[in-house]
Amino acid sequence: MRSHTIRILVLVALTLAAFQVVFQPVRMDGWRPTLQPPQPRLRLGLDLQGGTRIVLEAERRPGVEVTPDKVDAAMRVIENRIDALGVAEPVLQRQGQDRIIVEFPGLQDPQRARELIGRTALLEFVDTDQQSLPKGAEWLPDNRRVRLPSGQVVNLPKKVVVTGADLRDARAEFDQQSLQWFVRFRFGGEGARRFEDHTARSVGEYLTIVLDNRVLSSPVIRARIPGEGVIEGNFTAEEARDLAILLRGGALPVPVRPVEERTVGPTLGRDSIDRSLRAGWIAVAAVVLFVSLYYRMPGVLACVSLSLYALLLLAVFSALGATLTLPGIAGVILSVGIAVDGNVIIFEKMKEELRAGKTLRAAIAAGWRRGIVTILDSNVTTLIGAAVLLWLGTGPIRGFAVTLVLGVLASLFTAVVATRWLVELCADMGLGDRLAQMARLPARPEVAA
Amino acid sequence: MKVWDLMGRRRWLYLATGLVVVACVASMAIQPALGRPVLNWGVDFTGGTLITLRFQDRSVTTGAVRAALQPLGLGEAVIQKVQETGDVSIRTRHLEPEERRRLEEHLRQRVGPFTVLSVDDVGPKIGRELRNVAVLGVVLGLALQVVYVSLRFQSVRFAIAADVALLHDLLVVLGVFALTRATVDSSFVAVLLTVVGYSINDTIVVFDRIRENLQLRTREPFPHLVNRSLLEALVRSINTGLTTLLAIGSVYLFGGPTIRDFAFGLAVAVLTGGWSSIGLAAPLLVDMTAWAERRAARAAAHPAAQLARAAAGGRRPRP
Repeated sequence: MRSHTIRILVLVALTLAAFQVVFQPVRMDGWRPTLQPPQPRLRLGLDLQGGTRIVLEAERRPGVEVTPDKVDAAMRVIENRIDALGVAEPVLQRQGQDRIIVEFPGLQDPQRARELIGRTALLEFVDTDQQSLPKGAEWLPDNRRVRLPSGQVVNLPKKVVVTGADLRDARAEFDQQSLQWFVRFRFGGEGARRFEDHTARSVGEYLTIVLDNRVLSSPVIRARIPGEGVIEGNFTAEEARDLAILLRGGALPVPVRPVEERTVGPTLGRDSIDRSLRAGWIAVAAVVLFVSLYYRMPGVLACVSLSLYALLLLAVFSALGATLTLPGIAGVILSVGIAVDGNVIIFEKMKEELRAGKTLRAAIAAGWRRGIVTILDSNVTTLIGAAVLLWLGTGPIRGFAVTLVLGVLASLFTAVVATRWLVELCADMGLGDRLAQMARLPARPEVAA
Repeated sequence: MKVWDLMGRRRWLYLATGLVVVACVASMAIQPALGRPVLNWGVDFTGGTLITLRFQDRSVTTGAVRAALQPLGLGEAVIQKVQETGDVSIRTRHLEPEERRRLEEHLRQRVGPFTVLSVDDVGPKIGRELRNVAVLGVVLGLALQVVYVSLRFQSVRFAIAADVALLHDLLVVLGVFALTRATVDSSFVAVLLTVVGYSINDTIVVFDRIRENLQLRTREPFPHLVNRSLLEALVRSINTGLTTLLAIGSVYLFGGPTIRDFAFGLAVAVLTGGWSSIGLAAPLLVDMTAWAERRAARAAAHPAAQLARAAAGGRRPRP
C-alpha cells in the first residue's frame, strides 16, 4: 500500500506542477506567493493570433559576397529599423546561410513594415556638376547611365562624394514656412570633412541625393556646408519619418529581397483559435466517450491519464517556449490518437490474458509487459518520421513535427506509467471485479457465488 | 466459433487492393486529359500570391472581382468564393509589393470595402525548395524506418512487406488528392509524413503480434499463424483507427475551412494505413515466406545438383 501513496503523490504533484506551468495561478511576488486568475501561458503562432511573417533572402550580385557575418549584420540593421517603428515583440531569426525570417505578431498594416525592412537604404551624395535630376530618376546597374522618369536614358557617370555610412544622425522635421516635411542629417568624422571640402569646391553645382540608386532630390550647392544638411523632396510626414529611420539605421551590408510573405489578419486568427478550440473539445469528448464505453472502468482510468497527458503536453510546450500553430494543434490531436493507442494495445493484451484464465494481477502484469514492446516499436517509427520533418521542415511543417514528437514522448509516459499505476491502485482497492468486466467474461463461479 | 480465414482468401485481398491502386492511378492519369495538373498545387509549391478577403458586402460575386482585376492585367487570376463564409480568395502569379497595393486599392474602389483575412506570397524558389523537402523527407523517412524495422524484426521480409504497404498508402493519398482536387500545400507534406508514420506504426503492431506468436514456436503453418495474429490484432487496429478518426473527424467538421484539407488528408492517411496492413502487408509476408520456403525446399531436394554446381564453381575448366 505504501508504494501506492508515493505513486499518487507523484501523479498529483505532476498534475499541480503542470497546471502551474501552463496556467500560472500562483505568481511569486518576491518571496510572497499571490494568487491570480489562471490563464493559459502559451505562445501562439502567427496563424492563430494574426500577424506577418516575411522571409528575406540576401541577393547574390556580382561583386557582392554573401557571408553569414554580413547576413547577421543585415539582421541587426533590420532589427534597429523595426525598433524605431515601435512594433511590439518582433521576432528575427537567421535561416540557413542567407535568409532572415522576420515575424510581426498582431501587426495591422504590414505594408509599411515590409517596405522599411527590405530596403537596402544605401544613401549616396553624387556630384552631378551642372545637371539637376528630377525625383525618381534612377541609375542603371552599370552606374554610368540614368533613366529619367520620362523613360529617357542619359549618360551620366555616378561620381559618389560621400555615402550614408558616415551619417551620425537623421531626423524628420517640419518647416513652418514652406509647410514641408524634410530630413535633417549630420555627418561625422571622415565623411563630414569630405562633405565640407566638396561643397566648398563646388558652389553653384548640383549635389544629387540618391537612395538605393533612386534620386531623392538634387539641390544646388549655395555655400560650403559643414557636415550638416537637409534632404527635401515633397515628403509626407510618414515618408520623412521612414527615411530618417532608414538613414539612422544605416544601409544593409548586403541587399535583400523578400522571397516569402504570409499575413494572417486578426479576424482569421481569432476565428482559427475559436474553431480549433471547439474542434479540440469535441474531439476529446468523442474519444473519452468511446474509450470509456468500450473498455469500461479501465477505459475511464485511461481517460484520466489522457487528461494528465494533455496537461503535460501543454506544460512542456510553455516550458520550452514553443509556439503553438494551427498545424501544431493538428499534431496534438493526432498524438491524442497515439496516446489512446498505447492504452488500447495494453488493454487488448490484458483482455486476452483474462480470457485465458489468468488472475487480474497477472493479466495486468502480462498486458503491460507485452504491450510495451509493441508500443516502443510503433512509437519509435513515428518518432523517426517526425525527426526527419523536424530536421528538414520549416514553418508549419516544423510546428507539426514539434507537437508530434512531444506528444509521442508524453503519451509513452502516460500510457506506460500513469495508466498502470491507476489500474493497479484500483485493483488493490477491491475494484478488481469492475476492472475485469472489460473482458466481458461469463460470470465466474466464485464471483457469482 | 468460426475462424475467419483471411489469409486463405489472399487473392481477394490482393484484388481489392489492386482495384484501389488502379482507381488511384487512373484518377491521376486522367487529370492531364481534363486539362489540369495531376494535383491541385497550391501557391506553396508553385509560387504566387493568394489573397483572401472578406468584403463587407458578403454577396460580392467572383464575376465582379474578376471584372475589377481585368484592367490590371490579372484577368487570368483564379477567383474563388468560400460558400460557408462568403470570403473571396484571389490567386495570381507572384506579385511585387507595389502591384499588390494597386490590386487592393483597385478592388476597394471598384468592388467595395473589405478586410484582408490572409496573404500568402511565395516566390518560385521557395516552391521548388518545398518540393525537394517533401521528396527528400519521404525518402529519408522511409529508408530510416526500413532500417529500424529490419533490425527489430531480424528479417528483411518484414521490412519489404511494410514498405510496399507504405508505398501503396502514399499512392492512395496522392490519388485521392488528385480526384478530390484538395489543395496540395505545405501541410500536404505533413500529411505525407503522417502517412509514413501511421502506416508503418499500424503495420508494426500487426507484425509484432506475428513475431510474438512465432516465438511461441507452435507447429502451426505460417499462413494460419499470420491469420490468427491478424484477427487478434484486429480489435486494436479498429479501435485505434476509430479513435484517431473521431479526433480527426471533429477537426474536419468543426476546425474551419483553413484546416479542412489537412484534416481530410490525415483521415485518408489513417484509413489507408489501417487497411494496407491487413490487405497488403500481411498477405505479402505470407507469400514471400512461402516463396522462400519453396526455394529452400527445392535446393534441399536436389543435393546432387547443388554439389555439381559447387564443384563446377570451384574447379573451373581451364581454356
